[in-house]
Amino acid sequence: MACSALLASSAGCGRLLTTAPDAADLFDAPLPGLSPAEHAAFVAGDEQFGKAFAISEGLGPIFNNVSCASCHSGDGRGRPENALMRFSVLGDPAPHLGGPQLQDRAVPGAEPERLPAGVESSLRLPPPVFGMGLIEAVPVDSILVRADPGDLDGDGISGRPNLVSVPAFVPAHEPGGIGPALGRFGRKAQVSSLVQQTVDAYHQDIGLTTDFRPVENVNPLASRPTEGSDRVADPEVPARVVHSVVAYLRLLAAPAPGASTPRREQGQAAFARVGCASCHVPVLRTGPSATPALANREVRLYADLLLHDMGDGLADDRRDGDASGREWRTTPLWGLRVMRGFLNGDAFLLHDGRASTVEEAIRLHGGEAQAARDAFVALPADERAALLDFVESR
Amino acid sequence: MRSCERGPSGRAARRAVRALLAGAIAVLAGANIAGGPGVGVARADDSLAAVPARPFVPGGFDDKPHLAGLFGRIAVGGYLEARAGWERQDGVTDELGIEVTRWNLLVSTRVRDRVEIFSEIEFEDGGEEATVELAQVDVRFAPAFSSRAGILLLPLGRFNLAHDAPRNEMVTRPAEAEALLGVALAQPGLGALGRIDRPAGARFTYEAYVVTGYHHGIITDSPEGTRLPAGRRNFEDANASPALVGRIEWSPRHDAVLGLSGYHGAYNVYRADGLPVDERRNVAVGVVDAEAPFGPIRWSGEAAIVEVEAPPALVGLFAERQAGAYLMASWRFGDHWVRSMPGSAFTLAARVEFVDFDRDLSGDSMRALALGLNFRPVPETVLKLGFERGETRDRFNNLSAFARLRLGVASYF
Repeated sequence: MACSALLASSAGCGRLLTTAPDAADLFDAPLPGLSPAEHAAFVAGDEQFGKAFAISEGLGPIFNNVSCASCHSGDGRGRPENALMRFSVLGDPAPHLGGPQLQDRAVPGAEPERLPAGVESSLRLPPPVFGMGLIEAVPVDSILVRADPGDLDGDGISGRPNLVSVPAFVPAHEPGGIGPALGRFGRKAQVSSLVQQTVDAYHQDIGLTTDFRPVENVNPLASRPTEGSDRVADPEVPARVVHSVVAYLRLLAAPAPGASTPRREQGQAAFARVGCASCHVPVLRTGPSATPALANREVRLYADLLLHDMGDGLADDRRDGDASGREWRTTPLWGLRVMRGFLNGDAFLLHDGRASTVEEAIRLHGGEAQAARDAFVALPADERAALLDFVESR
Repeated sequence: MRSCERGPSGRAARRAVRALLAGAIAVLAGANIAGGPGVGVARADDSLAAVPARPFVPGGFDDKPHLAGLFGRIAVGGYLEARAGWERQDGVTDELGIEVTRWNLLVSTRVRDRVEIFSEIEFEDGGEEATVELAQVDVRFAPAFSSRAGILLLPLGRFNLAHDAPRNEMVTRPAEAEALLGVALAQPGLGALGRIDRPAGARFTYEAYVVTGYHHGIITDSPEGTRLPAGRRNFEDANASPALVGRIEWSPRHDAVLGLSGYHGAYNVYRADGLPVDERRNVAVGVVDAEAPFGPIRWSGEAAIVEVEAPPALVGLFAERQAGAYLMASWRFGDHWVRSMPGSAFTLAARVEFVDFDRDLSGDSMRALALGLNFRPVPETVLKLGFERGETRDRFNNLSAFARLRLGVASYF
């Protein structure tokens, strides 16, 4: 009795004084097994990732949002309100038109961009940022071994790497720092390096110059001079802050999948049988790493990190590096289990968030995934439900 | 021009203006005097030589327990606030610290019978930040009409007018006042105030000023979206466009009040060198406040709505509609329980509050329940123990829970 009362009161006290959510349910938890120094780097980077910039601190002159965290909810995916519009002309990023990204916000005195006529455009929902260090640590060979551009095995799944050029500002010692490099990040695997990803996000999304990109992004089609509207001398963000954010991204864990149940095991079997696992490869493995928490780990991301033709329905008809308008990098399925908890109960799936359920997203698959999609639709209802339960528990 | 100023017609014009002013003052004064039995107070109260038994706002500019007596006309005092805090957010102890929150020096000077100067200098962060929070000169023509100029506390809600820590039953200020409106909110301005007394202790008061107003910082200096506190310090009128602020208060008896406040003004620079350089964008604020006892419990509260015209290219990121409110109940008990301190008493207090920083969005909000247990060894000094439990929501509507335990001490001197 006394023990029960003590437990009840401690539980009540916990609620009264707030309780920590389970790290397995979060997108912003650190990798397990980090050293105190790595924890310090993680905490410092977390602060920079969450830092919102005021206009008086350099935000803009044109931008999309005020911080990293304001696009990636809880470090997960974003909402349609945070979606970015990428555009280009025949594969050229079209900087003379304001490309490759539309900045539809502007500080007072500047002029936001409007989508120019005649360009190829693509709406992109901010992807999750957790687990990027694990993705980065997967050896190139482990990814390329699954590539089959000519579909020589005749299974209808090709899989192509996006070999990308690397901007000169990316240090050569950085993973993915020497081009052409294997693109791993972004909806079309158009980025090979976390440094590039971070620098470009500061530059394009928040309108902040860094030591790496020290020249302000302005609206080249503005009807009036707007250069004076930015209030802070460039560069606005020092290299150490960029490296701090990169370290944070590297050390972010992925949420744990849900517990295994008979129904989910049935769904997992169906997932493999209908062909989903051909692209959504359940497990990759990291190689050696200077960070022990990243070295030689199983990565349950359910993706092969290769480009696949997804058919007309999902095509954005916009080339991105080597990726065609019909190709998309296989989207990792990890984190779907807790996704709705960070999106106000909603789910925005696929590159532009058009699907609100996993089933809807599957039904929109085409191209190389057409056969798997059709096989899914043909499953008995209970098996289809089991497959969906499995996927939504990742 | 010289002849106009010095000639017969100039003198006539000045006489006419004087006559008009005298008439206006007589009308205002007469309104008080001729209001019937019990209306107003004796003529002696018309003079600052007699300290009114009832302050204009309890806890406000004329209700500070100053140490008087310097050179006959000067009163000096102030207050000190210190607190220790323990804060836990989502199960993680976030902050554990001790701070001297503020040290305020209050000085008032009576210049003859009808002119008085009030000033307050606030030192925060160990003296790193020093602010003139109040520096006003009042000229009292009549109880119903005084002029005021200087750096003054904006009559935007009652809490801003009486926010001294020794008065506040909680360790923290209400979020509606501090995080939404920017209390303590003091700006240069000028205008008028007055009171019209009615029978049986009833009273109507008003304050109306032109002030420098909130400046563009509410957008440009605020990384989290529209925040009025980021644009509250506007000592040189950044846009050369004053704002209007005013408050009326009806008090049916000495211990109950109902107040209505309003603010309207442009916050951005829309004109420079006589040329239009931007669209004029306004801030409008409405506040209702009330305080009254019901049995042994004293209730007080305030509710505010804010409308901000955001630049078109920032709509969606920067809020255009905000709101907030708090309601507090306090119960005084234990008078004389501590025999060695005959004037001592305890107070139990509870406050519920919310602020919605963007009414067009699910999220970007906070709500909290605060509980306080206070001991006043003497009326001017309070030892406070406070506990707050609440939650904030970011712009994605993600919830973050917090708990705060604070120990505070505040005292006038």
